[in-house]
This record gives sequence, structure tokens and C-alpha cells, in this order.
Amino acid sequence: MDPKRYARLQDLFHAVADFTPADRAAYLAQHCAPDETLDELEALLAEDAKAQPALDQGLTPHLPPNEDFIPRQLGPYRLERLLGEGGMGVVYLGFREDLSSYAAIKILRDAWLSPARRERFLFEQRTLAQLNHPSIAKLYDAGTLTEGTPWFAMEYVEGRPITDHSGQDSLNLFLQVCQAVQYAHQHAVIHRDLKPSNIFVTSDGKVKLLDFGIAKHLDNTGDQTVTGLRLMTPAYAAPEQFRGEPVGVYTDVYSLGIILRELLPGRLPVDLEILIQTALQQESHRRYSSVDALIRDIQHYLAGEPIEARPDTFTYRSSKFIRRNLTGVIAASIVLATLAGLITFYTINLREARNEALAEAARSSGIRSFLVNLFQGGDMAAGPSSDLRVATLLDRGVVGAKALNQDPQAQAEVLRTLGDVYQKLGRLDQADTLLVSALDSRRDVDNLNGLALLRTDQGKHDEAEKLARESLTLARVTQLNVAKATTTLGHVLEEKGNYDEATPILEEAIRILSAPGQPAMDLAAALLYLGNVHFYKGQYPQSQDLNQRALAIYRQTQGPAHPIVAEVLINLGAIQQDTGHYKEAEAFHRQALAIIESYYGADHPKTASTLTLIGRALVLQNRLDEAAGLLTRALSIRERVYGPDHTQVASTVNELGTNALSRGNLSEAEAHFERMIAIYEKAYNGKHYLIGIAKSNLGSVYMRREEWSRAEPLFRQSLDIYARTLPPGHINEGIGRIKLGRTLLRQKKYLDAQAETQRGHDIVAKQASPSVSWLNNAKKDLTEIAVLQNPSLTK
Amino acid sequence: MRPDESNSLNEVFSLAYEELRRLAAQVRSSDPSATLNPTALVNEAWMKLASSSRLEWASPLHFKRIAARAMRQLLVESARRRHTIKRDAVLITFDEPLAALIATGEASSEEEFLKLDAALSELSKLNERQAAIVESRFFGGLAVEETAAALGISEATVLRDWRAARAWLGRELSRIS
Repeated sequence: MDPKRYARLQDLFHAVADFTPADRAAYLAQHCAPDETLDELEALLAEDAKAQPALDQGLTPHLPPNEDFIPRQLGPYRLERLLGEGGMGVVYLGFREDLSSYAAIKILRDAWLSPARRERFLFEQRTLAQLNHPSIAKLYDAGTLTEGTPWFAMEYVEGRPITDHSGQDSLNLFLQVCQAVQYAHQHAVIHRDLKPSNIFVTSDGKVKLLDFGIAKHLDNTGDQTVTGLRLMTPAYAAPEQFRGEPVGVYTDVYSLGIILRELLPGRLPVDLEILIQTALQQESHRRYSSVDALIRDIQHYLAGEPIEARPDTFTYRSSKFIRRNLTGVIAASIVLATLAGLITFYTINLREARNEALAEAARSSGIRSFLVNLFQGGDMAAGPSSDLRVATLLDRGVVGAKALNQDPQAQAEVLRTLGDVYQKLGRLDQADTLLVSALDSRRDVDNLNGLALLRTDQGKHDEAEKLARESLTLARVTQLNVAKATTTLGHVLEEKGNYDEATPILEEAIRILSAPGQPAMDLAAALLYLGNVHFYKGQYPQSQDLNQRALAIYRQTQGPAHPIVAEVLINLGAIQQDTGHYKEAEAFHRQALAIIESYYGADHPKTASTLTLIGRALVLQNRLDEAAGLLTRALSIRERVYGPDHTQVASTVNELGTNALSRGNLSEAEAHFERMIAIYEKAYNGKHYLIGIAKSNLGSVYMRREEWSRAEPLFRQSLDIYARTLPPGHINEGIGRIKLGRTLLRQKKYLDAQAETQRGHDIVAKQASPSVSWLNNAKKDLTEIAVLQNPSLTK
Repeated sequence: MRPDESNSLNEVFSLAYEELRRLAAQVRSSDPSATLNPTALVNEAWMKLASSSRLEWASPLHFKRIAARAMRQLLVESARRRHTIKRDAVLITFDEPLAALIATGEASSEEEFLKLDAALSELSKLNERQAAIVESRFFGGLAVEETAAALGISEATVLRDWRAARAWLGRELSRIS
């Protein structure tokens, strides 16, 4: 049949379709030539009268069943069941007999639909092959079925979407997600479809990123899916994806922001709110410039530090200060105008100083000495008695430093100086931002040291050690600042608790610095650090000697009221304290507090430390109410400065616990010591004698409750930790054994009790003054044991 | 058509295809005996795709026409594959009821459907408009007035053509079998 004939048939069909058979015949006789064949018309009319099930029932009988026909065996994999269907294909669970392992098999259904689909499928395969990260599902194998259907096998992830895990650890899970995305970005891969159903968390808490089905290569300019449709999931897509504009790392940042918002429903702390809003900015350039920046802010948040993102760069920061002290701001505004002027002055000077030597002179004698003098109190008029005012000044200084970007070296110098000052003021968060910037703009020994010391202050010891080692390596290569880098590494190791490693390094630093012409201050610092090491190892005579040498240097070079003098006084007090001379300890610490409070102000972490030390000395002298007041003040300063989980907080918690114990408030004491154990175990990974102290103290609470069987294991754990972290015969071990002895005695384990108490007594007697309560307790217990044992022996 | 529009057209087609497949499977898996309504499927596909993509150049009607074509292709490919598989019995299905069907050697609708598709292709050579009407209404679930608007003809023509095409297709189906 041809169209012409068909048209003719149509005319006739429509003309007669509704006629009766008789009318039809009449009509056709009149309108058709006698030789026209009407069989076809009759057939059509017959069909018209019939039911046409294929057409009349609609599509239902024709629609395909749920699943397609897929071979049971794909390459080495036996397909077990359907896992899911994505935009780009269908995923099966496959089992590989020879390796006895599972894999997810992705198959591109209907590959014939378009070459673009095939291309995109292969692109995902290549992307997975390229990415090798623990949080990204790995590619195992790939192939093509005989009829041309491509497939690949990848890591099978058993888990639940990340949003099923919203709760306490959701920020940490989210961090893992960010790190995986950042890794992909480093390989120029943008995921473009980040959403909870593509982010799984396994039963052991590991994050796995799935489905790079619509990922994009940043360097792939010929990507035909740029203007593609539905190459996103609307609920998680960034505005530029809706607009069909180019995507970039900022696109993933946006999706991450939405996911984070979903993980943390409800009202959030201000910092988190700002963080999320920054990720979700409509304009891509106002978002975090990288996932790395987002990661940094989450880490700031987790560490209890203010984040880097600001709703408006300057107002947020200054409003924080304004809330703290309204009147101070007015005074500060006068000073900051002066500082801003000076920064500008030096900035111009530096720009004009074509001569490198001149620039160097300006740097060292100008900006740095000016700022350090100003903020360390060299200039009494502008001295730091109000750290609020100084902090405000510093903020303006940061703005000024940004103008130095023509001269990276000068800029790094200013940033580090400002960071050092913030650190000295106890404003670790601001110090962090600046010292990181300084290191970013110039990775030299000074900047490495600066950040290493800050990390130590923040309790981030591993990072500190890494930076310090890099610094020392660099110093040795360049033969510049070797002594300083050596001292820094020694200090970092000391703070980390690696005393055996720290000792030879600090001895080396002291050897270098003892040569004529070396700065006396640097020598004194190294002496102090080594003094600390000996102190922590319980080698008090050595420690006392080193501290006295340092004290002499400082008093001579800095004057008797300098805060460094206070530091050494504190060390000397601690030595007295640890050897049981509490009154002497209190005296040293009060001298120190007088210097520190007038120098740093009442709200400074150093003030808190000194208050704690005095509190400790008071507790042990049984002046409990006096002590509790000082300690509570110290705790609130530290929680604010360091965050609630810092080791600096733990030491104050310890004192409050001891205090509560002495006052007989056992449940308060128990809570304090449990918090102390938790903080130290987390901070030191189970390897620090302070964990032993904390456990021993909790044991004391149980002793007071006469819960002997609960106390005994704590003392044993404590002694076990001492055995691994302290030299044998340390006074802590002695005290621990006396406590354990008492516990055993009360459980009627006399022989064991006698052995422990006697050993404890002997250790303590060698190092402490005869009046310490531990020795008296030990003697009492030994007498009691002897009396109780006699009847049994005579049997 | 803008230079990128033909690409976009392909894209819309493939999107519509995938979306319809997903929707159909969804309906079937929630109730295996459910009656699939192409109108509802295409509408839902449109709602989903329109809210999620840059489809502003395409009207809903434009989309539905494309979706109808996609639906037809989807069904044909599916039927062809199932038909081939049954014939060769090389590959086996995960769909247990269907596997049972194969085992008992009962007749299936695939063959009939493939004939319908072939007949429709034949019809388009004789009368393209009628074929388009069938495709729109049958596969896309377009209403009479939508079909009329999409093809730029009157509703009366749609009805007339539908009736004629139906008769012709019926004849073709009975003739081939």
C-alpha cells in the first residue's frame, strides 16, 4: 500500500464508518469506480467494529516487568541480587567464588540509548580507577557483555546512608566525607552529586563515597554534560547547577553544606550556623574556597576555637569583643587608630625599601620590636593590663598585615608576630589563623617553630612534633637557627611526654647555646625545658639545679618582675610541692601569681595555672574553702580559653576533685575525677602518668566510700601506667602502693597489703619530708597489719 | 533550534526514558497487578524533570511528545530483549513469575507488542500524523486536546485519525498473525 491509496481508503472509511451496511453499499456504489478493490476498506471497517485489546487496554499489558534480564554470571562474578538503580545504571551484588568476596556490579542498561550515556559510564569507571582513597569505593574490575552492555565491579559497601547516623559523631563522620571529597578535588574530580544516599557509613563507622556517575573532571573542557539536564539531585544541587553554569569545587562545597545542615537539625551554635551559611552562599565565590577550608573550620569548631568564616569579615570578630567589654572598646579605639597608622607607616616603608638589607632592618627593628614591646609590656603606657584592648589592636594589625602582600616575607613576619602575641595573650584561636597564614606565605624555620609551639599549646602534639621536625631539618640544611629549632623540638617532645627523646635533644641545644656570644635568653629557655623533663621524670635535684640556673639568667636580663621569672618560680614551687613541702610550694606560687596577675591580667590562662597551683598547695594544707574559690575561678578561665576537653582543664578538674574529696563531697569528687580520666585518656592515648594519677584519685573516692573492691583495680591500673611511664621508685608509685595497701588491708588480704604498703613507704620516705600524710598513713597501716596478722600466725 | 538544542533533545529523551522506566518499575513493585496509566507516568516524569532541570525551552507538551516516543522505545527494547531471551533461553531472569511463564511455554505479549510497533512504523510511512497521534495517546497518555495542541490539529481530527489508525493497526495485527 502506498500513502496515496491509504488516503483514499481513509476518505472512504470516514465516509461510511457510521453508516448501516445498506447505506454503505449505496454510498460506495455511487462514489467508487466499479473496478476499485474494496477488500481493504471492508477489513478496516470490520476491525473498527471489533475490540482491539492491544490498543484499547492501554499500555498495561506491554510494560516490562520490574527487572531486566541480566546474566547470572558477569566475568568472575555471580550476581546475587539487585542492590539499586541509579541514573546511570543498575547495581547488583556480585560474589566472586575464587576470592570468596563480594562486589557491587554496575551495569549500564540500554547502552544503545546514546553514545553520551556510554561515555559517561566509562568516565565513572575511569574516575574510580583513578581515585584511591579509603573513603571512596574502589574499582575492582570491568568488562563488556557480548551484546555491548558495559559493566564494572567495585567495592561493595555495607552500611547505611550518613543521615541515618545523625548524632554525636555526625561531625566527625562529616569530616571524613569532606576529606574524601577534598581528595577527589586534588585529583581534579568534582563529584557533583553529593547526597546522603551516595554517602554510606559502614558498621565500623567508616565513611564511603559512592556514585561518581555524574562526576566531572575539572580539566575536561569538552565535557558535553556541562549544560546537561538533571545531572544533579535538586535537593542537594548548587544554584549554579540549576542555572546550568560551570561547576567547580564550590559546587561540592554547597552540597556538603546541605548535607551538614541535614545531619545537624535544629538550632545550632552560632559558629556552626556561620559555617553552614558560608558553605551555602548563593554566589559561589563567597563560599569556602575549598573543601579544605571547610574542614579547617570544622576542626576549629571541634577544638572549641572560633571558626575562620565570618558573616562579615570584621564585624563578627569585633562584636565578640564588644560583648565582652563595652567600655574597653572606647579606650581601645583611640589606641587602634594609632596602631593602624603605624602599620601603614611600616607598610609603606617596606614597599619603598628596595634594598633587601633595609627591608630586613625595617622588619626586625621596626614592626617586630614595636609590636612585641607594645604587647609584652615593654611600653608601660600601652602595656597589656587589659588584653581586650590589645586584642582589638591586634585585629586592626591583621588588617594592616594583609596590605603587606607585596612583600611575602614581611607579611609572614608580621602575621607571625601578631600570632605570637595572640598566643601569649592566650587567644589561641586568633593565633592559629595568623600563624597558619604566616606559614602559608613563608615556610621557614621561624614560622614552623611558631606554629609548632602553638600546636603544643593547643594540645595537638603530633602535629607539633611534625612541624618541629620539619623545622629542624630545614635549619640543619640551611645552617640557620639550628639552636632555636633544636630547642623547639625538644620542648615539643617534652610537652608531648616523650622525655627520653627530649633529653638528648635539649642537652644538644644547651651545648650549642652555652657557647660564648649565644643569646642568654635562648640558653635559659633550653635550661627550663630540660628542667621540666627531669621534673616529669621525678629527678627533682637535677630539675631544681636547671631551674635555678635559668632563674638567675632571667632575673639578671629581664628584671625581677618579668613574667618569665614567675614561670621559673612556679617550677621551683612545683618541685617543693611534689616532694611534699606544701608551705614552701605555696610561697613560690604566690610570688609567681603576683607577677603574673599584674602582667597578664586576671583573665589569662597563666593566671588560671597559678591559681590552680596555689589551690593545690592549699588543699594539701587542708585550707579547703580558700582553695575551692581559687580553683573554681581557674576552671572557668581555662574552659573558656582551651575548650572543655583540654588537658589544661583536666588539671584544674583534678584539684577541684581533690578538694571535693577533702570536703567529703564524694559524688562531686567522683564526677571530677571521671572527667579527668576521660580527658587524659583521650589526650595521651593511654600513655601518660597523669592517667595513672587520675585513676588513683578516683580510687581514693571509692576508698572513702569503703568500696574496696572498686578501688583496688583502679590502683592496680594506676600502678601499671606508672610502671610504663615513670622510672621505678617514683613518688607517685610510692603513694599508689600505700593506697593499694590500704585497700587490700580492708579486704583482709594482709600479706599482699603488707608488701604493697611497705614498698610504698620505702619509696616515699626517700623523697618526701617525714611529715607527709602518706608516710603516716603507711606506718599506721603497717602497724595495723602486724597486729591483725599476729593471731593468725600464732595458730 | 540552538546548536546545543539537539543535544538537549537527546538528553531529554534519555531522561524521559529513564524516568519512565523508574516510575513504571516503582508502580509495579508496589503492586504487581496495578494498572499502569501512561498519563500519570508521563505527568510524573514531567513534574520531576521540570523541577530539576533546565527545560524551560521545552513546553510540557513538547516534553510529553518526547516522553511518548521514549516510552515506546522503552517498551520495544524491553519486549525485544525478553523475546530474544525467551527464544534463546541462554540468559535467565530474576523475575520469578516470568521465569515460570517461560518454563510452561505459555504465550506472551512481547511478540504482539513488537508487531504493534512494526505496524505503527508502517503506518507512519502511510500517514505520519496518524502514527504520531497513536504514539502520543497510546504511549504518552496525552489527552485528545493535548494531542491536538501538540500536533497543531483540531480535536475532531485527532478523534477521526485515531479511529482510522486503530482500525488499520487492528487489521495489520490480525493479518500478520
